[in-house]
Amino acid sequence: MRYESQRIAWWFFATCMLLFSLQIVYGFIMGFAHAGYDVLHDVIPFHTARATHTNLLVMWLLVGFMGAAYYIVPEECERELMWPWLAKVQLGAFVAVGVTAIAGYHANWWEGRKFLEIPRPLDFLVVVDVLAFIANIGATVWRGRRMTTTAMVLFFGLLMAALLYLPGMIPTTNQTVDSYWRWWVVHLWVEGVWELIMGAILSFLLIKLTGVDREVIEKWLYIIVGFTFLSGILGTGHHYYYIGTPRYWLMVGGIFSALEPVAFLGMAIYAIAMARRGGRAHPNRMALQWSVGCAVLSFVGAGFLGFAHTLPQVNMYTHGTLVTAMHGHMAFWGAYAMIVLAMIAYTLPMLTGRSLHDSTASSFAFWTSNIGMIAMTLAFAVAGVTQVVLERRLGMDFLTVQREIEVHFWGLILAASLFTLGIGAFVWVFIRSGMPVGRVEPGSPSAEPAAPPLDAEAQHA
Amino acid sequence: MLSKSQARAFFLIGTGLCAVAFIGLTVDTFSRIPAQTKHDDITEEVKRGKDLWESNNCMGCHTLFGEGAYYAPELTKVYERRGEQFIRGMLTDPAAMYPGERKMQKYDFSEDDKTALVAFFKWAGGVDLNGFPPTPPLAQGTAQTAKLDTQPLVFKQTCTVCHALDGQGGTVGPSLDGVGTRLDADYLRKWLRDPTNVKPGTKMPKLPLTDAQIEELVTFLGSKR
Repeated sequence: MRYESQRIAWWFFATCMLLFSLQIVYGFIMGFAHAGYDVLHDVIPFHTARATHTNLLVMWLLVGFMGAAYYIVPEECERELMWPWLAKVQLGAFVAVGVTAIAGYHANWWEGRKFLEIPRPLDFLVVVDVLAFIANIGATVWRGRRMTTTAMVLFFGLLMAALLYLPGMIPTTNQTVDSYWRWWVVHLWVEGVWELIMGAILSFLLIKLTGVDREVIEKWLYIIVGFTFLSGILGTGHHYYYIGTPRYWLMVGGIFSALEPVAFLGMAIYAIAMARRGGRAHPNRMALQWSVGCAVLSFVGAGFLGFAHTLPQVNMYTHGTLVTAMHGHMAFWGAYAMIVLAMIAYTLPMLTGRSLHDSTASSFAFWTSNIGMIAMTLAFAVAGVTQVVLERRLGMDFLTVQREIEVHFWGLILAASLFTLGIGAFVWVFIRSGMPVGRVEPGSPSAEPAAPPLDAEAQHA
Repeated sequence: MLSKSQARAFFLIGTGLCAVAFIGLTVDTFSRIPAQTKHDDITEEVKRGKDLWESNNCMGCHTLFGEGAYYAPELTKVYERRGEQFIRGMLTDPAAMYPGERKMQKYDFSEDDKTALVAFFKWAGGVDLNGFPPTPPLAQGTAQTAKLDTQPLVFKQTCTVCHALDGQGGTVGPSLDGVGTRLDADYLRKWLRDPTNVKPGTKMPKLPLTDAQIEELVTFLGSKR
């Protein structure tokens, strides 16, 4: 950690840990409901749990991205953050809006549009808050001593994410139009600009952790985000197959979605290749494991499992079934949850001055959460495929099929328990690392427990 | 191998071209949506139905156009499948309609609210979704479909929610195969008018059936021997 204002990231990451833990609780509520034990029906009915679960995910990932940006941008641009106080205000405001929204969900106050359930008045507050964040980051980049590709990709990713929130607010009376714009936000976020953010964070981590030359890493960053947009933008078409939009989307969406795994495969190969190529053995092996793990599992979850039901002929039967939940869980975990956790694993020793990355708990967190998530994905896959065959292919009654697949939700709950143990260990390491007190002195062992030679590339750039 | 500036050019040009194509397709799509979705059929009632659909987060359990959560049935064709009578009943007291099953929230909808939601479902069912939801390709053969056609509409829309006949229908209540040999017309008539009167504590709800519908069902069920 070279700049005092980078320390703000810790508060964002601490918020992530809190929101993520809460997200898991709501996941269990839904898992039990699906298994036939909707015991909280009168307090937290399924739709409340569902909206809370997904919105907490979006919230903690965004907070994680913000924290990552507040850490990365000063270091890349070689100056203190423009307005550190604004970052704190903005985090507080974001959490306040989020908590209000989630409390609202428990009182039947929402917009009821999948993933964008936040009530309209709060939407405007989100926009204002994100603009404050963008202004802070933008001003820092603009006034920085250098402009790196990593910082620019990160900045534009965040800026576009903020702008793409707006189409979701266009009012309409037609459900088809409503869905059309909703996917502009949701799809162009997760299969578009969020990948810019993820790519930039990944390249920052790879530069720091592997010691491979910045020019090489950033060149590949361009190629990968190039493939992402080449496939991802028109790949939005896979949401436009069956919602009342023209038939040509079946072809456009089918072809371009089929290319989406290429971008993710590229990302995985790139991360593995850089990790191997790096001559430097960075002491924080856990951070590298999370980074490479992120690239690999995002290929499996977002790329491969996404492709598994994105062809129109297949999607005709899997659209609106638990197969989507299978893909969704591993895609978000691999691509976005893991990149934020990688960033936390990397920065924590610098932010707090305590290096716990060698501890058993750190290793346990990585393996247990990943094995747990893979098992969860398998449970969803079995439930989803069974649902597709019985309900969509054989024409059996919805509720009869749901009873038939209850058993797989017990499998899911077991897998999720394993996952929770892993995340529990991660949070435990976070708590034990303590408050942000790391010293801000380049090269000093306590400020940079992560190997002093790291400064080399900052100096030559 | 590519240089960094070539890589940047690839990124910028590729993204630019795709964005332009996407915006072009969006413009074209918007010119076609009104016809494909029968936009002119969106009455004030349909609009109100959509508002209710959203303000109660129905998508948090159900799917519409295949979008939503996967906890409760897909509702795109619910108007055609279940009919207005059943939908209204469901919106009045969901627990009674699916006794002992996965629960739906009970809402205090006014009669106008229910009419608006029915109108919304009716509109949604008429949108051309490029073939979604699909007809189950492996469902029991055409002979079965022919049999279904002899069933009264009220039977297909309401009774099959919970009861199966010839292997088609729900499994909440007992199968109705051969019901005509077990129960006579008088019993069926009394039963359908008010099940709890005949058998206190039964889970079968008192359905909002007209006398004509009851007679139709008595005749139909009596023939199931």
